[in-house]
Amino acid sequence: MSSVLRVIPHLIGIHIRTHMEYRGALFIGWIAQAIGYAGIYASIALLLARFENLGGWTWPQMALLLAFHLLAYALGASLSFVQFRDMEEKVRLGTFDAILVKPIGPWTFLAFSGLNIEYGGHIALAIGLMVWSVSNLGIDWSPGLVLYFLAAIVSAAMLTAALMTMIGATALIWVRSRHLFSIFFGFWELARYPLNIFPLPLQIMMITFAPLGFLAFIPTAVALGKPVPILGDWAGPASLAIGPLFVLLAIVHWRYCLRNYQGAGG
Amino acid sequence: MSPIISASGVGKTFRQLKRQSGFGGAIRSLFSRDYSEIRAVDGVSFAIEPGEAVDYLGPNGAGKSTMIKMITGILTPSAGSLSVLGREPHANRMVNAREIGVVFGQRSQLWWDLPVRDSYDLNRHIYDIPEARFADNLAFLTAMLDMAPYLDRPVRQLSLGQRMRAEIALALLHDPKILFLDEPTIGLDVVAKDAVRRFLSEVNKQRGTTIILTTHDLVDIEEICPRLIMVDDGKLLFDGELKRLRATLGSRRRLILEFATDPGPLALATATLAADEGATKHFLLENETVSLLDVLGELGRGHGLKDVKLEEPDIEEVIRTFYQNKPKLAAAL
Repeated sequence: MSSVLRVIPHLIGIHIRTHMEYRGALFIGWIAQAIGYAGIYASIALLLARFENLGGWTWPQMALLLAFHLLAYALGASLSFVQFRDMEEKVRLGTFDAILVKPIGPWTFLAFSGLNIEYGGHIALAIGLMVWSVSNLGIDWSPGLVLYFLAAIVSAAMLTAALMTMIGATALIWVRSRHLFSIFFGFWELARYPLNIFPLPLQIMMITFAPLGFLAFIPTAVALGKPVPILGDWAGPASLAIGPLFVLLAIVHWRYCLRNYQGAGG
Repeated sequence: MSPIISASGVGKTFRQLKRQSGFGGAIRSLFSRDYSEIRAVDGVSFAIEPGEAVDYLGPNGAGKSTMIKMITGILTPSAGSLSVLGREPHANRMVNAREIGVVFGQRSQLWWDLPVRDSYDLNRHIYDIPEARFADNLAFLTAMLDMAPYLDRPVRQLSLGQRMRAEIALALLHDPKILFLDEPTIGLDVVAKDAVRRFLSEVNKQRGTTIILTTHDLVDIEEICPRLIMVDDGKLLFDGELKRLRATLGSRRRLILEFATDPGPLALATATLAADEGATKHFLLENETVSLLDVLGELGRGHGLKDVKLEEPDIEEVIRTFYQNKPKLAAAL
């Protein structure tokens, strides 16, 4: 374990050096992503300016929800999205085999050697938006609430990384898994809005089968003291437990897929 | 000495979807799927001693890559038992990986955008190579493979030959006991091929590194591997020294007779006509006891014979002959 921890900074370092070879592309990528998200958020803000609230959520509250959503996603996806989205190519072209002949866990190698610093734009925008919304909401930040909020961000990031790992791992058996990312991002888009604006079956789905309700809505609602459908008072503990629980599920799924990996010929 | 690699009745079966032809078949297969079992490796047994250099040879689809993937711990065998350095490779993949080096001819393990040295540094940490040993090995490999001029150049700027040498060095930095090479000379020019072959042969002889090679390049085999393991349809066809294979099949010497003018059709009891180019005729001497004098005696005078060449069969001919006559020859061997 300690030898793995010693290798991780070197894996991250080599990836950052690779990106720094193309500094222009990296900085433009950050700016482009930040502008893209800012555009989406501006359109939501305009809608709220017209209707005043969305499912009982005002614009500063919505801004906190959006900031939480973006920050938790960026933290989790930086360790997983590009790495596991490209899993089917790695299987098809045999480059995954080259990882399996190294004395290091393939998840560790993939996640950290591909740590995506391109999410810097997401993170900067999310923190900026979060600071603005918090300063406009007048939340009573007790130490317990601060700890809960930080732990909930970590849990949501873990949930993101776990789901992406599970989707990517499926390519080890099915060879193709990218279509599953389309389903993920379908629910991910919905996770930007308050859960209570959706019909009940979709709400149930967003806290069970596709638990992206935990990515932002549930922890933000708990922090704001708003009611959470279905879960009620269990929303706080559940939002902290969901990340570690899905990490355990992802470990089991990853190991199963690795054990049954057959390559793609050649 | 116990074998460094031992395979006993190793098999690997893949489940493959039976595809139905046509658009209708594609629609039907959405609802009803039939699978068949493909035996990529079928009851293969062999033992490789430390320090050997072995070519694992076979046509495309023969099951050689699958076997190498099982030995390196990438795939799990479906049948039989496999032991590498006394361990089951798949169950001990990470421990096994510390003691083997793998070069995939067409899949680079170097970091494309970074100098070669950066990939080596990363491997130093992954394999936990002590700094002094790493420095010694890097100096040795740099000198042997003539890499000094491009060690600090990004991999993307290297020629294929330079890259392959850098890949081989990467696989050897941690002093592996076994080096696996999948088509290491594919696409290289003659000079680069020669450098790689000489180096591998030296590593095998001087350092005692066991080498397992999969290649279609028969010169690689002649220069690096005294022993051949030949497979086809997942089954072992031949396991032995190249010279034994050549001795068994080497009677097919090629006799080239060049005449002043085309003498017309020629049939000989001592040799079989292989190619007729008019004034030049190629015969195969199937029987080792037949001498050149026997053929010339049978041919007699009066044909205007200008020149005679007797060629020993090259390895390509030997292997082609083997695959053409495999059931008969496999039984004889």
